Amino acid sequence: MKVQDIMTRQIASVTPRASLRQAARKMSEQGVGSLLVVEDDRLLGIITDRDIACHAVALGRDANETEVQKVMTRDVATCFDDQDVTDAAHLMKDRQIRRVAVLSHDNKLTGLLSVDDLARSSRDLAGDVLEAARPIH
Amino acid sequence: MKIYELMTPKIESISPDATTKEAARKMHDLHIGALPVVRDGQLLGIITDRDICCRVVATGRDAVMTKVSEVMVKEVTVCFDDQDVDEAARLMADHHIRRLAVLKRDNSMAGFLSVDDLARSSHDLASDVLQATTARLH
Repeated sequence: MKVQDIMTRQIASVTPRASLRQAARKMSEQGVGSLLVVEDDRLLGIITDRDIACHAVALGRDANETEVQKVMTRDVATCFDDQDVTDAAHLMKDRQIRRVAVLSHDNKLTGLLSVDDLARSSRDLAGDVLEAARPIH
Repeated sequence: MKIYELMTPKIESISPDATTKEAARKMHDLHIGALPVVRDGQLLGIITDRDICCRVVATGRDAVMTKVSEVMVKEVTVCFDDQDVDEAARLMADHHIRRLAVLKRDNSMAGFLSVDDLARSSHDLASDVLQATTARLH
């Protein structure tokens, strides 16, 4: 099975210069835990609800003044939409992560693949990823 | 398998009177995503990194002025440490959640059981929980 068969195509995104408050609001309204940071169709990073709590609030940064690009993670794991889902699962496992941005071969962002998506296609792959993931308790 | 064999024993907690900034700092320092809110040994609620993002930052509150008790989730789904992990998985699936507070039979806090912990015992149980979790947190 290919990544494109099970990935989520609706991408929740934010621009790098948006404020953390705007990003938090978007996550809250859209019921998501992460936003891809995108500018001109280019993937620049990813920001999660945890980043906002732990890298902004915890350090006393002002959420109205701080831009997304200050706290986002730049090193986003990616895979191609025509790769096999087992490749994507191995990537998640190796990097101890739960989601991967999906690109087409012309490097356009086409979707997001999460461990939840994996669970719908293979319980064993999803289980492997969860076991390897960095525990967030 | 019993829950106590899989759970993450948790001693760390936070007071309901602490600020949400202090809670965020604790989560940052301890590399955890949730803290039980405890007073006099009694579990009052749970606060997560997501609560701080969505209930403090998103709404424009000041984390130094906002107390944990104002944004914590009070309806905590709990299980007991001597219950079977199958029952815990069913609870998570039914409530569409990925984490349960684990209590001892004297109602004191024993730890947390997450879907990650479940995966170490059964991929099937963990996947059931993921599939049941309707709020798709990507």
